[in-house]
Amino acid sequence: MKVFEINGHSLCLALFTDVSNSKELLDSMQAGTLEPEVAFLNASLIPDVFPVLAAAHKTLLAKSRESLTTRTLHSELVYNYSGSKHITESLKRCGISDRSTYVLVARFNTSLDEMKDIDKLIHGKEIDLEEMEGRADQAQIHKHYKITGPELGISSLADAITCRIASRDAL
Amino acid sequence: MEIKADGKESSLILLKQGAEATTCALATNYNVSQDFLQGTGRVFESNFVGRRCVVKERFSKKYRHPSLDSKLTLKRLNAEARCMTRARRLGVATPVLYSVDPVLQTLTFEYVEGPAVKDVFLDFGLHGVAEERMDDIAKQIGDAIGKLHDGNLIHGDLTTSNMLIQSGTNQLVLIDFGLSFTSTLHEDKAVDLYVLERALLSMHSSCGNVMDRILAAYRKSSKQWSSTLNKLAQGAALLSYSFSCDKEVESAQWLAKPPSIMCSALR
Repeated sequence: MKVFEINGHSLCLALFTDVSNSKELLDSMQAGTLEPEVAFLNASLIPDVFPVLAAAHKTLLAKSRESLTTRTLHSELVYNYSGSKHITESLKRCGISDRSTYVLVARFNTSLDEMKDIDKLIHGKEIDLEEMEGRADQAQIHKHYKITGPELGISSLADAITCRIASRDAL
Repeated sequence: MEIKADGKESSLILLKQGAEATTCALATNYNVSQDFLQGTGRVFESNFVGRRCVVKERFSKKYRHPSLDSKLTLKRLNAEARCMTRARRLGVATPVLYSVDPVLQTLTFEYVEGPAVKDVFLDFGLHGVAEERMDDIAKQIGDAIGKLHDGNLIHGDLTTSNMLIQSGTNQLVLIDFGLSFTSTLHEDKAVDLYVLERALLSMHSSCGNVMDRILAAYRKSSKQWSSTLNKLAQGAALLSYSFSCDKEVESAQWLAKPPSIMCSALR
């Protein structure tokens, strides 16, 4: 669990593996009954924290201008992590599914108590954020973000993803 | 240097002001010289979630009608972001794009540590040429332009001040895609190379023949180099003819090119 400062707001990230209740989490999130509100990201698409921070920056910017494309701040984070403008597809791909076991949990401006509640909510094992790099699914990332061989020669995977997150709305 | 404070981000420091963007340089990497200011905006240094970054802000042109102006600026902003990501896809090193803000009309990139190729070459001019390093840089330039052109991406403003050498990895990084566009025409690719040639001749003639080395690397990395280099030779011949004869040449594909591009190289 780690807290990051973005433009005066804080973002708390926690990485969980062997998650067994992803179906319930997904259902309660879609019903709007999830307390406290969090974003569930498919952690196998995440090789590093930086792209998530870039997506969070974008999300906070949209919120400050009251121009969110999705319904909530946290769903906007999941949408912004995707390289595609298609909302439903992005939420499906970058968010969790019924069978997800490897999940990154994110919450904006949270307190320690709320994070403890979230800990209890998720039936899984929390691991260190550093393990993200080793557990990322490279093939899936290459496919989702359409990353080419030449590009990897000049940049890291995290940078390639960050570029796409930033320029998605410019395309 | 003026310091612009923005409520949202931490204080930004003005680097240099150009026609396109004002760039701010905190360190002495970029000299605040008023000379090569072309472009239409301001560049600042700032902080993006803990990482040092450069924020490029495009001016709005007051002489334009406001609705047209915002549309045009946005279009140029998006084009720049798109061209940068395309260049990356083609395997050309550019700074990582961190954020695109259409409201403030800014682009946020990673801060690349290292001197501009212009400064490196000027240094060679003053203290003698380090052949190996010069060779390496020229090779990287030719290689990068070859990859861009094969992907039909024209940089539009190839000068030594728009190329940085990243300290540590010594990798060439291309910046400023504000004038770039897509074209399959060999004339456009040849103009791109011509602009670079003029820039080298005007500023770095004391470094010897760099262009030859660049073109050699270009030949190696580009698959369609022959038609482009033919056009380059044709154009150079046309121009030297027109300057020597002092009259307008009709097939002026070359002379019809926007003078701004030529002028930017002749600083």
